[in-house]
Amino acid sequence: MRFISVATDIIETRGLTKRFGEREAVSAVDLNVPRGCAYGFLGHNGAGKTTLIRMLLGLTAPSAGTIRIGGRPLPQERGEVLSRVGAIVEEPHFHSHLTGRENLRVIAAVRGPQAGRRIDGALARVGLSDRAGDRVRTYSQGMRQRLGVARCLLADPELLILDEPMNGLDPAGILELRTMVAELVGEGRTVFLSSHLLDEVEKTCDAAAVIDRGRVIAAGPIGDLLRSDAVELDIGCDDPRLALELLDGHPAVGGAVLTDDGIRVTLVGADGAAAINARLVGAGVSVFRLAPVHESLEARFLQITSRVGDAG
Amino acid sequence: MRTVVARQMIAAEVLKLRRNRALMTLSLLLTVGIVILVFGYKAIQHASDASRYAPAGGAHGFGQAVAALGVYFGALSAILIGSEAGTADLSSGVFRDLVATGRSRLALFWVRAPAAIVVTLAFSAVAFALSAVAAFVFAGSLDVPTVGLILRSAGWIALANAVLAMVAVGVGSLTGSRAMTLTGLIGWQTVATNLLLNVSSLGSARDGLLTPALVQLSPVSAARESVTMATGVAVAVIIAWAAVAGLVGAWRTALRDA
Repeated sequence: MRFISVATDIIETRGLTKRFGEREAVSAVDLNVPRGCAYGFLGHNGAGKTTLIRMLLGLTAPSAGTIRIGGRPLPQERGEVLSRVGAIVEEPHFHSHLTGRENLRVIAAVRGPQAGRRIDGALARVGLSDRAGDRVRTYSQGMRQRLGVARCLLADPELLILDEPMNGLDPAGILELRTMVAELVGEGRTVFLSSHLLDEVEKTCDAAAVIDRGRVIAAGPIGDLLRSDAVELDIGCDDPRLALELLDGHPAVGGAVLTDDGIRVTLVGADGAAAINARLVGAGVSVFRLAPVHESLEARFLQITSRVGDAG
Repeated sequence: MRTVVARQMIAAEVLKLRRNRALMTLSLLLTVGIVILVFGYKAIQHASDASRYAPAGGAHGFGQAVAALGVYFGALSAILIGSEAGTADLSSGVFRDLVATGRSRLALFWVRAPAAIVVTLAFSAVAFALSAVAAFVFAGSLDVPTVGLILRSAGWIALANAVLAMVAVGVGSLTGSRAMTLTGLIGWQTVATNLLLNVSSLGSARDGLLTPALVQLSPVSAARESVTMATGVAVAVIIAWAAVAGLVGAWRTALRDA
């Protein structure tokens, strides 16, 4: 059964709100997650990521707003919709006295007969076949995380929702998970991944939404999120002080400062690099590097969230 | 929910219970262990001084074993198993993952009861069979239980333990806490019920207690202190306890934040 029509975004929320008493944990969130990509859901701890995910999965009821997954409304068609969604919320929990395989049997029993036939494949997929007969209490954090992904795969999911999946993983585990996410996306699945680890979202995801204090304040492809209005160039040259003097007052230059091995120039327009290069070379300055500055998602995140003032 | 899915879910619940070594060990001690202990102790007493101590078996010894399995130790085992079935998913954190599959919360609740009852009755059956054998082996000069008494006793133990397991599943699902459920139910069954039975001013309100209703249906003398009531009233009280526990457990499971 394929429950999702390909014409729609896989997740669509409108005015999604969750209140706990007077406090609004999620405020009127409009979110569109395109299918077939790794989508990051980025925010500080306590920004509202997990609350939104819990609403998507029907674990808690929204105070207001609508949710559609694969074009189908929740909670009205919850059973049908979630039958093809795999999720890890916060951290994967298991019955620690059962083995890895037995824990999968428990979930497979709830999902239906076809899920039981996927157990061996799911265990192999996450590299746990050898340890499937061991009790989960003997598993490391990374193994539990992988078993959580195996549990998601029992649904043959169109959509995987992973809440802070990098938590507690060592660098090798993070790399494994990143590779696995890429593979899952390569199979046409959508991975919706929440994290406060900006670097990981940047490396793992194709697009992202930034949530701050319950509100989505930016969303789009990672490249668009990184793009800021100001374009900067790092210029490596043999005489940075002379270069600084030469560019003072240049029409293409909004500002320039000395750096450790050259100067950093803020351009007025996006196409001033050639003119600047010509000016410096024409004046006898040897330019050996002319590189646009790539802002990290972390810097951009701090810039666009309302907590930028707290960062220092 | 299709039958095959329900069967799978019940089997998964049974798996969770039977792989819990501590629970299984304790339940074994409270059922089979108690039967071995009581018959063994009385057999040794009888062997050491036959003129002073009656044989361990016979209809009398069998009746004592049936009472122990129905409303005392067997009941404790049923409460232990039912509490674990009612709270295991919540205490382990797996409830959230089960809800996230899209399966109805009511279905998640209702499969716990048959699983708890199956596991409870497995222990009860072994302990009861052992009691019946011991009643004949250690009968000596005493009358042995009749086939009719054995069959009625088996049915009564099954009923009493199944109802207590069901009540424990419901209360466990309501509280979400194994410790609170165990303390509450064991305290209610062992202390509060006996106290209330002694408050004669409560009159027929005491008919609403579960243990007297179960004792009323017992084919053996199952309790020193009880109140008598019509069989129909006893049946209604037992059904009400099971139904109310089931409904509150289902209600809480359906509405609980996962």
